[in-house]
Amino acid sequence: MESINTDSESSDKCNINGDCSPITDNESKNFNHAKNIDDISTPSELKFDEEFEFESFEIIEKRKDIEKCLANPDLVNLEQWQNFAKSKGGLICDKYRRKIWPLLVGVTQEEMTDPPSLDELSTHPEYNQVVLDVNRSLKRFPPGIPYEQRVALQDQLTVLILRVIIKYPHLKYYQGYHDVAITLLLVCGDRASFPLLCRLSYGPGAPLAPFMQTTMQPTQHLLNYMLPILRRADHGLADCLDKAGVGTMFALPWYLTWFGHSLNRYSDVVRLYDYFLCAPPLFPVYVTASIVLQRAADVYQCDCDMAMMHCLLSRSLLTSLFQQLPDDLPFEDILVTAKKIYDENDPTDLEAEVAALEKREEEQRKLDEERMRRRQEERRRGAAGRGAGRGWWVLRRPAHRRAALALTAALLAIYVYYRPELFR
Amino acid sequence: MSDSTNEIIPGLGQKKVFKIIVLGDSGVGKTCLTYRFCEGQFLDKSEATIGVDFRERTIRIRNEDIKLQLWDTAGQERFRKSMVQHYYRNVHAVVIVYDVTKPETFHSITSWMSEVESHGLTKAPRVLVGNKCDCGSPSDRLATVYAQRLADRYGMPLFETSALLDSECDNVESIFITLAHKLYSHQPFRVVSVEGELGPRLVTLNRHKRNTSNDNCLCS
Repeated sequence: MESINTDSESSDKCNINGDCSPITDNESKNFNHAKNIDDISTPSELKFDEEFEFESFEIIEKRKDIEKCLANPDLVNLEQWQNFAKSKGGLICDKYRRKIWPLLVGVTQEEMTDPPSLDELSTHPEYNQVVLDVNRSLKRFPPGIPYEQRVALQDQLTVLILRVIIKYPHLKYYQGYHDVAITLLLVCGDRASFPLLCRLSYGPGAPLAPFMQTTMQPTQHLLNYMLPILRRADHGLADCLDKAGVGTMFALPWYLTWFGHSLNRYSDVVRLYDYFLCAPPLFPVYVTASIVLQRAADVYQCDCDMAMMHCLLSRSLLTSLFQQLPDDLPFEDILVTAKKIYDENDPTDLEAEVAALEKREEEQRKLDEERMRRRQEERRRGAAGRGAGRGWWVLRRPAHRRAALALTAALLAIYVYYRPELFR
Repeated sequence: MSDSTNEIIPGLGQKKVFKIIVLGDSGVGKTCLTYRFCEGQFLDKSEATIGVDFRERTIRIRNEDIKLQLWDTAGQERFRKSMVQHYYRNVHAVVIVYDVTKPETFHSITSWMSEVESHGLTKAPRVLVGNKCDCGSPSDRLATVYAQRLADRYGMPLFETSALLDSECDNVESIFITLAHKLYSHQPFRVVSVEGELGPRLVTLNRHKRNTSNDNCLCS
């Protein structure tokens, strides 16, 4: 909740540049804000898990348990790995993740094969788009990484993505897929990340499969669960979002990248991945709702305006320039809340509400289209009217036309009466 | 704080708001361009925009604060079909960006234009922007004459600029300022009304053709 209280009285203030995020009253926070922006040009803002963090007794015990299991992995069942991944702290460090992530999605050693070279793949029609996005993913790489190593990793990332979409040609690459792929690549390396990414992208219940269809319609549909989920937890808050008409776009990068695109801290990203790798496919949407709940105080304070709300929800209060969330979101709590809401409100319970929401949106869309059509027609008619001369609009209405006809007849009669010689 | 005199009624925007949507192929520099305008500097490590991002800046026209809301969109086609659509609603102006070193991004302009027109934005002020004119040698860059011809065909001004170069900063500035002036003289447009506000700052909701229902509710 720390992030929420800082700006409770400043929701209407904008800074000089028109940055619409509520700014904090706290001067030191403002200073940090500016500093963060400057730091963006250096990769050091990425805090990888080498960073020392004080470990609680609980985590130290958990480490021992995990190591015990990893010593004899054949004796451990999937449920045990899932418990580690879901419970507080997740899989703790990348050393464990590297071994356990493949187990969570059932990837075997045999599937981990050497990747082909980049040259072999460069004729793929999506090659350019993938390279474009991979080249722009600098922020996701470890801090201080040597240039050559980073370039090599980027090539591995391109290969990894292309391998998947070549293996499953009906799956379409989307911007954001590279954020998932790089997380897997950094943790598991290029051999293991390929079957892992395949598992996530293809097959019944594959969590990324809906994002990779021809259109974004299936993704949109799944995101539409967010508001009903939120409504079950906090009716007023859901109303607030609904009234502002903010939609679900603010959460789109969260869902498409499992938050990889939207979080500064590497440790937060991998922690969430621990959980998502063994959670139901819709679970990230519950986490989305849970984050909105976490920021309820801000949302209630925010202008009931689509842009303001979008801005507030889609990014951090401190580094408010990108599609990035606050650094201090308490993800352990958020996951617990999301789990609780999920247990109480299964997706099947929400289907009716989602259908109602989609029906309403469809009607709104039709209304908009109708209005646009009418406007275009008016404009066309206006143009046609101007083209034909302004005076003639009078004759459009039947009553006017009759009157004009009578007048013409009368004038003609008078003319003929006074100039009878014409008709002799 | 440009806005500090207005804190009497918190939670209500009181400025005129112009919404500008920025379109163009992936990687032409939409994010950098809007960032340059809103933050005054070049965005060194730009990432792919997923869905729609948002930036804004307040400018002054004839002593009046005008808020420019820039909707920075994802370039990948799959996003515009079902998702970005929503953001065309209530848009006042359109900026279409291409990369002067990549002819294919220039050739896409026609499809961007038909998209704009399909959303009923034929009357909205539009601007064509050729970005990255700092890149490559002159022979690598698309000749201005082609771009000008296309811009003329659609009746929109053409700007060639670079979001990277500080020397081009004024040019980037003038893109959006030009649009803002055009919109300002193009009244009526959307105004956020504040009931009960007195004095010369009193603003009323005028007969605006576009739907404003989403933007004026006073929920608490």
